[in-house]
Amino acid sequence: MSINDISYRFSHKSQLDQNNNDELPLNINNFNLNSLAPSISIPPISQPTDFLRAHTDDDINPDCNIKIAHGTTTLAFRFKEGIIVAVDSRATAGNWIASQTVKKVIEINPMLLGTMAGGAADCQYWETWLGTQCRLHELRNKERISVCAASKILSNLVYNYKGMGLSMGTMICGFTPKEGPTIYYVDSDGTRLKGDLFCVGSGQTFAYGVLDSNYKWDLTVDEALYLGKRSILAAAHRDAFSGGSINLFHVTENGWVFHGNHDVGPLFWEIKEAEGSFNNVNS
Amino acid sequence: MVGKDCVAIACDLRLGSQSLGVSNNFEKVFQYGHVFMGLTGLASDVLTVHENFRMKTNLYKMREEREIEPESMANLVSTSLYEKRFGPWFVGPIVAGINSKSGKPFVCAFDFIGCIDYAKDFVVSGTAADQLYGMCEGLYEPNLEPEDLFETISQALLNAADRDALSGWGAVVYVITKDKVTKRYLKSRQD
Amino acid sequence: MDIILGIRVKDSVIVATSKAFTRGISILKDNDDKTRTLNQFNLLAFTGDSGDTTQFAEYIQANIQLFSMRENTEMDSKSIASYIRQQLASSLRSRKPYQVQIMLGGLNKGIEPFLTIIDYLGTRTDLPYCAHGYAAFYTMSLLDHHYKENMSLEDGLRILKLCHEELDKRMPVDFKGLNVKVIDKDGVRDVEF
Repeated sequence: MSINDISYRFSHKSQLDQNNNDELPLNINNFNLNSLAPSISIPPISQPTDFLRAHTDDDINPDCNIKIAHGTTTLAFRFKEGIIVAVDSRATAGNWIASQTVKKVIEINPMLLGTMAGGAADCQYWETWLGTQCRLHELRNKERISVCAASKILSNLVYNYKGMGLSMGTMICGFTPKEGPTIYYVDSDGTRLKGDLFCVGSGQTFAYGVLDSNYKWDLTVDEALYLGKRSILAAAHRDAFSGGSINLFHVTENGWVFHGNHDVGPLFWEIKEAEGSFNNVNS
Repeated sequence: MVGKDCVAIACDLRLGSQSLGVSNNFEKVFQYGHVFMGLTGLASDVLTVHENFRMKTNLYKMREEREIEPESMANLVSTSLYEKRFGPWFVGPIVAGINSKSGKPFVCAFDFIGCIDYAKDFVVSGTAADQLYGMCEGLYEPNLEPEDLFETISQALLNAADRDALSGWGAVVYVITKDKVTKRYLKSRQD
Repeated sequence: MDIILGIRVKDSVIVATSKAFTRGISILKDNDDKTRTLNQFNLLAFTGDSGDTTQFAEYIQANIQLFSMRENTEMDSKSIASYIRQQLASSLRSRKPYQVQIMLGGLNKGIEPFLTIIDYLGTRTDLPYCAHGYAAFYTMSLLDHHYKENMSLEDGLRILKLCHEELDKRMPVDFKGLNVKVIDKDGVRDVEF
């Protein structure tokens, strides 16, 4: 018996697995590809969720040994010419800046983008996994998946793990002929919302501040890109847990277009100079 | 940080309440005659302790008819902190200066109840202390001239602050020689 | 969830406070004034633990007035700020600390506009614009964007309007609008908003 078989036997099965895997033998090689959730092992103790929380949640226990990377500002908004997605790139573990170069936009496929806030690993893993599910949908149905359906797959998946400590706040952004430009907000509580404008993460309020006061449906592409960048910059400035650099994306009917990585270091002074803003900062 | 017949002391300028940056003009290095003290920790206590020492050093000056020397300052800080052993000030002070008699550079650090940590190279304090130790251990060399010392301490501070979420938002560096004090503001990342 | 917002502009200071007075799950009052006038040129705005807030503010108010009667001179803004900070810092290490967040707006010596915030720990900073509590999270980025050194009172009120709209839109509770006061060379006055 391989180690996989042993771990599989002691793995937690999500509800969906339990429903359609009852007749499945223990052999991991027969693992059903159609099932929504692959198996993930959990510690063999009575309350795995409490155990996990005690050792990873630094709000409850600041001395915990494992600190999950979090702290982020991400935003996406719909406008006349598509969707703008803008994110920062800082990852923090406590006060420690673990990285300034995190990719917080996950390119699920050439038409779909997912943003990442909360647990970095959770988002990265499940959105990559969502990519495979979307591809499978295409192969099965000979048609591209709708943003609605894609976000629902993710939302259902995370809902299965509710209460087990998954932490993600994500926006699934895409453009389909049926739906037009569409944004869904999906988080680990199981919330799934369709909307025009979302900011997610510890710096969300700062981004909302700038975004709300300058947002119009009729923005040109350049204006919209600038507004996205400017909103993240505002958050990067005020929020200790956001910063690094800004990644900008524009989602059009032909798929997403990358609009560069902008280092906040020089960008801040550039924008301060051009706008005459940030007057609290002495240069 | 100690150089050749000079010392340097530097701090960042951020004042925040947890994740929210509140002020980018909160200096943590204070001057008492020719002695300098940097204070990190609870911002309220930083101000209170500073005000306290301003009073104490002024009284000292009147009684002794001379400015306080760094070594005496270190002992004064230590005893003042220990006075509050059972209800301490939540600060991590460092003292730097040049003895006006002997011309010898002096730096030392304290824990929050007054244990003195004398050092002949550098001392650090604050939320980015771990990062600062790393930078200083890497960059420091003994007997630097004032300009080189400025470069070293600036790079150490800036790069350490860039790895700490709660530090940054500008910086100040003092380079102190026997007869001159230069204060420079550094331009740093604003995120 | 109370809102206290201050903006320092050319020759005057704007202080805005939310009108709602909330206790538990109810709003008890929708025209609450969270400010006290200390003297002709100084206005104290406060939020925090209810009870502590008004007690502390009125204590400060009384002492400032007592000082001016005794010494026959008005205290200037900076002295008042130092005094309040000192009171809060010593209260912090007492048996029952005041849990009050303070914002002081005024004209220092009747000329120079002055704005400072002090939290219950006794942390004080003088700033061109500031806010207490959650309001800071929504308004600071807006003010970073629009604030200019030496801007006019009208422009200041225009930014305040933007802040108000944003807070109205994003704050999860109704704060019943803002009380806006301006301190300028003529003293403290209410502004229709």
